[in-house]
Amino acid sequence: MTNKKSRALSIAVLTIFSIVVVLGCVFAFVSLDDGQLGIRNYVAYPKLIKLGLDLSGGAYAEYTAEQPEDMTDEEFNAAIEGTRRSLEDLLFGKGYTEAQVSSYGNTIRVEVPDIDDPERIFDLVGRPSSLEFKEYTSEDTVNETLMTGEEIANAGVVYNNGAYLVALEFTSEGAEKFADITADLVGKKLGIYVNGELLMAPNVNEAISGGTCTIEGDFTYDEAYDLAVQIQAGSFPLDLKMTNSNTISATLGDSALKAGIIAGLVGLALIVVYMCAFYGLMGVSASMALIYYACTYVFFLAVFPWVQLTLAGIAGVLLSIGMAVDANVIIFERIKEEYGSGRNMINATTIGFKRSLGAIIDGNVTTIIGAIVLMIVGTSTIRGFGITLLIGIVLSLFSSLVVTRVLLKSIMSFHDERHAKFYMLRRREADDIGFDTIENAEAVDEARRAEEADAIPLPVGPDADAVLELQEEAVENGATITAEPVPAKQKQQPNNPRRKYKSRRTKGGTR
Amino acid sequence: MKIKMTKKNIAKMYKIWFVIPAVIILAAMIVFAGFAIADRDINSGMNIGTDFAGGSIVTIVLGEDVIGTDAGLGAELDKIVAVLQDDEIAQQVVDRALEEYEITLPIEAVKADVSYSQRSDSGANMSIIVKYDNISSTYDPDNSVTNLRNELIEARLEEMYEVTEDNASMVTMSNIGATASQEMVKSAILALVISLALILVYVVIRFEPWSGIAAVVALCHDVAIMLAFTIMFRIQINSSFIAAMITIVAYSINNTIVIFDRVRENNKAELKLKPNAALDNFEICDRSLKQTMTRCVNTTVTTLFAIVIFAILGAASVREFALPVIFGLFAGFYSSVFISPALYSLMKNASDRRKAKKRASGTFVGQKSQAQKD
Repeated sequence: MTNKKSRALSIAVLTIFSIVVVLGCVFAFVSLDDGQLGIRNYVAYPKLIKLGLDLSGGAYAEYTAEQPEDMTDEEFNAAIEGTRRSLEDLLFGKGYTEAQVSSYGNTIRVEVPDIDDPERIFDLVGRPSSLEFKEYTSEDTVNETLMTGEEIANAGVVYNNGAYLVALEFTSEGAEKFADITADLVGKKLGIYVNGELLMAPNVNEAISGGTCTIEGDFTYDEAYDLAVQIQAGSFPLDLKMTNSNTISATLGDSALKAGIIAGLVGLALIVVYMCAFYGLMGVSASMALIYYACTYVFFLAVFPWVQLTLAGIAGVLLSIGMAVDANVIIFERIKEEYGSGRNMINATTIGFKRSLGAIIDGNVTTIIGAIVLMIVGTSTIRGFGITLLIGIVLSLFSSLVVTRVLLKSIMSFHDERHAKFYMLRRREADDIGFDTIENAEAVDEARRAEEADAIPLPVGPDADAVLELQEEAVENGATITAEPVPAKQKQQPNNPRRKYKSRRTKGGTR
Repeated sequence: MKIKMTKKNIAKMYKIWFVIPAVIILAAMIVFAGFAIADRDINSGMNIGTDFAGGSIVTIVLGEDVIGTDAGLGAELDKIVAVLQDDEIAQQVVDRALEEYEITLPIEAVKADVSYSQRSDSGANMSIIVKYDNISSTYDPDNSVTNLRNELIEARLEEMYEVTEDNASMVTMSNIGATASQEMVKSAILALVISLALILVYVVIRFEPWSGIAAVVALCHDVAIMLAFTIMFRIQINSSFIAAMITIVAYSINNTIVIFDRVRENNKAELKLKPNAALDNFEICDRSLKQTMTRCVNTTVTTLFAIVIFAILGAASVREFALPVIFGLFAGFYSSVFISPALYSLMKNASDRRKAKKRASGTFVGQKSQAQKD
């Protein structure tokens, strides 16, 4: 590629990237409504991030359960705990990872974050009620209970042939029981009673033995959903009566969230200043990538279900902003070192990216392992935290390995060796990096170069594609480097290693 | 910009590096024992949050006029806290507990600590909810003394807010169970252990067994130091804290890996350079860690920026959470730079010596020693 062409491409890359990042920032702060710019009801995307009870408050409801006469105290306590867990699972399944359910005696308290109307709790967990299956003969006769909701493992909405159906899944015991009941009732009607009132009475066409069944009945999606929720709520082992419900405010107040936002923005600014001071134009490319990272991270936190930020989540996001430049720091330190050992700027950059890949991948794979374990093993809060962590790592890998690289190469295409100082690159001096003598350092360089041929790490992890692409490029460029036995400059002064490291100065003299 | 490095071998100074965290952990143990003995209760050694332990909730309807503003809410909260901490009530509880239940308990154990407060409802019905801890189950296994205390507190609050028959529901009190149950703690610890095991396996595969062990020891160090600081500063241990601990572990491993990656590379170069000489592990570790020092410092600094500002700007509760994270970041840096390379060198040296001995006695010991024999 000619220099002119590559510069034109670089200008295009930098322009497009800047526009994307600026738009990302603008849409993060501006909400549009009522037809400005022809957009209606656009809410700044960070505002869509769901928050936990400590940061945003929500609503609570308290339920009490009566101890059935045929239950011992021990069984009753177990039933309360079972109900508490079912409620927790139900709320987690709906994305409320930070909902809290606690029990005390016969009271169960449900706190759901980020909703401003206690009625919403009922949309979420249903109005817990008893569910019974009985034979239906007529409106006035009530037959004996054949089965209760306790034996339903799951209820959900399915879509089949243009109609919404409610699908029930029974426990293994429930499946047998239901098969027996339906076998007895073929040709008759099965009444489904909620809180003792008839909800519906579908015809039984055949014995149902598969452990699942569907309820048909001209439902809209919402009706089917409500019914499924109601049935599921009825599957709690106890009858729950709501005694109390209301809104609650954030336990930490508004100040914590504000402090988090300001800390994030100021921290971002400080990192940008720090990176630019330490790494010059390399730092500029990392800073642009960091802003891009921050925008995409916040966007993903807003759109992903199961993400509900609590105080710990905010701290996690703040830490991740600092960690996002970690890979860049590793790469830039490497580039500095490679340049110091006598390579030219472009080669040092290519080799720097390639050589740091091993450390970056190994470091991040271990963190990803941790995040995935949290998602699998953890309970609600911990699980949500694992998801937040994982999104952050994957995005930061992309931004530091791919975005920074493209940006840095684009910026570099405008410069040559004379501009190395703008990238904070300088030739190595003897006392720089823990070698006793400059000869020692050089010997290690030689050994490394010899090692290079078989030292290409295999890509692993979620960004393998990006890594592969990167690596192919590195090998392409690397081939010319490994084929070159000694750097050009060393050829000129083969017997004076010390001069080699001062070559910038000598070069300046001859210019 | 350039960090001037000492000529001394950092990895070789391991004695100093191992003593410092040992002293911190010992100090924390002494603090723990001190509080546990003073309260005659092992649970008092740490400040365990109500989300693990359950507690009591008092709701007082005061209306938006009174508690609509943060200042108003704060003022009312202060009044309520004064009642919860009241000496007279506490003494009464101590006396009656001895009389009615034959339970002896120190007065400090009776006084309630607030874990959080919040508003509920709106307009004239706006109320303040205050959650506070129960009397430790060591003294009061069935909560009878706690209930006794709560009755006295409720009576005092009703007196203070002039509750009459017309507004009898103004002050209500109820118990609340633990939200973050034992189960949550168990699953968090399980997650931590499984992650450590998997990280160990991964590092052993990608690096060497000794690097794997050194990396995991460094992570255990980070957890221990964070715990030590929370014990010493009496910071509340709750579910947020557990999450913070896991984050620190996840990030700390990065530092360690970067250094070991360099050790791996320098080992290879060294073997190429002097194929017949034994590796000087301390020397290589020292060189590797000096080569990666700028990066470790830079990453720790950039990570600290936002969280330190958060701690400065935030209220007490935020600071209480951010502090252990900051301690954790320092601990992570410390263990990666000072502990794991030194530990690795020690173990590697010992194993090299063993191999040399075996070789001397004529046993086959693998490729590297073979090369050295040639």
